[in-house]
Amino acid sequence: MIAKSDKNATIFIVLAVIFFMIGGLLTTVVPPLVDRSWGKAFENSDPAKGPTGKLQPYTEQQLKGRAIYVREGCWYCHTQQTRTLLADTKRSGWRGVDSPVSTPDEFVYDNPHMFGTKRTGPDLSRVGGKYDAQWHRTHFKNPRDLVPGSIMPPFPWIANNEEDFQAMVAYLQTLGRGKNWRPENDFEK
Amino acid sequence: MAAERTVNTSATGSTAAVHVDTTAKWFLLSAVTYFFIVGIIAVIIAAKFVWPEMLGTIAPLTYGRLRPLHVNGMLFGWLLAADMGLTYYVVPRLCGVKLWSEKLGVATGILWNVIILGAVVSLLAGWNQGFEYAELPLVLDVLVVVAWLMFGANIFGTIYTRKYQQMYVSTWYMMGTILWTAFVYLTGNFATLLTTGVNQANLNWMYVHNAVGLIFTPVGLALAYYFIPKSANVPLYSHKLSMIGFWSLAFFYVWTGAHHMLHGPISQWLQTIAIAFSLMLLVPVWSVVYNFFATMKGHWPKTRDNVQLKFLMSGVVFYLLTCFQGPMHSLRTVNAIVSKTDWIPGHAHMAVLGAFSFFAIAGTYYVIPRMFNVKIHSEPLANWSYWFLMIGGLGFFVTLWLGGFWQGWQWNNPAIPFIDTVIALKPVWIVRFFSGIFMFTGITLFLYNIMATVVDSGGAKAEVQA
Repeated sequence: MIAKSDKNATIFIVLAVIFFMIGGLLTTVVPPLVDRSWGKAFENSDPAKGPTGKLQPYTEQQLKGRAIYVREGCWYCHTQQTRTLLADTKRSGWRGVDSPVSTPDEFVYDNPHMFGTKRTGPDLSRVGGKYDAQWHRTHFKNPRDLVPGSIMPPFPWIANNEEDFQAMVAYLQTLGRGKNWRPENDFEK
Repeated sequence: MAAERTVNTSATGSTAAVHVDTTAKWFLLSAVTYFFIVGIIAVIIAAKFVWPEMLGTIAPLTYGRLRPLHVNGMLFGWLLAADMGLTYYVVPRLCGVKLWSEKLGVATGILWNVIILGAVVSLLAGWNQGFEYAELPLVLDVLVVVAWLMFGANIFGTIYTRKYQQMYVSTWYMMGTILWTAFVYLTGNFATLLTTGVNQANLNWMYVHNAVGLIFTPVGLALAYYFIPKSANVPLYSHKLSMIGFWSLAFFYVWTGAHHMLHGPISQWLQTIAIAFSLMLLVPVWSVVYNFFATMKGHWPKTRDNVQLKFLMSGVVFYLLTCFQGPMHSLRTVNAIVSKTDWIPGHAHMAVLGAFSFFAIAGTYYVIPRMFNVKIHSEPLANWSYWFLMIGGLGFFVTLWLGGFWQGWQWNNPAIPFIDTVIALKPVWIVRFFSGIFMFTGITLFLYNIMATVVDSGGAKAEVQA
């Protein structure tokens, strides 16, 4: 049949689509049916099974902040995934506590997803609660005032617009908070 | 073999059909123009790594707005448009008939330009959907689908009315591109909207990966399969090998999307499947590259005086290298070092610029003088454009690999604060910026040479303006 495909365009089309569709369907449609954790929000009340907590849907204000994050392309330089690498759990950790790795059930409310592919700045998957609003305001105005050597651009139009700024901070403080991974809940606001 | 004869007979210009090529001209000239314009954006964002404050307080000119413009502009404004233009040139010649409809082709060209201009406006305004390679707003996505259907109808219309029964390998790859792109594009731009989280990311990366693997790879190889034998004036080495390369690509490529999330929050078994199929990609790559090298056996000296062949064969080498890197990155141990680092843009640019843009540039240098019935404006200038792109490209790729690998090692040592890994890369970004200047110079010479050739042709001028 393949031998005929270079003389008969219809045979060619049918074969080319079938060849593609086998892998195409098995890797896109099937996985979420097999692995249910892709679509179920994180919830755990048993400390023996790891960090406890419950993933909450975003509020309207947080969604507004998230939309700014998408609009300004923050995701081109900041990933949101603590990978199954020791160094990632250390870097996402805080004050000596290692971060749990990111799991699919922590992202079911994310649309568009913000996992990212390039880490020009640090990963943000567990940044929620690490820095307070004042820190973020200064940082958006000029990142180099707080982090010398940073190459992040300044975002004065976020820092100087109270509504946008509050929304942005509200979103950032949710990141990685589905899991209660820090002892005594020492989260900044 | 009949397939090789097909290529050779059209090489002598003895085909009966008279080709108008209005569509091919439209697509190619606009593509070359976008290559230059988006090249300016590319240099600006490279400069922002070195001088982060530069143009930093004007929202539409921040890095987060210009990067998607660079990526989409290069992929869709330059490369895909050039590939489509060359397809409009190649397929009628391989079929021995006129293009099915020049009118439809010209309409497609106009629509394509509307899409690109719409993309510029929306990306600068921050109307970004938040998906890599699929940033454009929904209305533009719909227009892309319409344009693609128009393109597909025209090419398949030509193929179904062909004079030669046997289809040459370039024709298969172009048909494959049209068919697979339809599904891949719908997955990445429409199916993603119905999902969230990891499920959505999986669809997004199926698209991102296959935008390169099943759009730019097959159409790029179609061009290489056509222009290498043409430029060197030798028949293709093996028809059978080209079949193995094509059908293994058709089967293996689509499975590998999840390798973009290795170690990430996605099922381990899916990561393993993606790794296994990524390694199998060596089969289509090596069979294609072997075929090209065997075709060139004894003819390599021709690359000395032939700019197209220089671009084509360098492109083949870059293709071999980038497609060796790809499977290697998918190994978990290597991935733990290079993933998310500056190595990745080094790798991606070798694929899209080093391999596929080089094929498209070679094709453009080959067809523009033939379509306008003049000699290329300046051979030496074309040669200079090659060397600027080659040296700039190598400078870009190699420094980012070294820098990225080093960065990955530093990340894996949590004792090093993150900001120190940023500061460490500053020299790398300076070299990248200057390499970018070299590449941009090459692009400028390419644009000038092509446009000057068109102006030289005089008589055909009215044709372009029409």
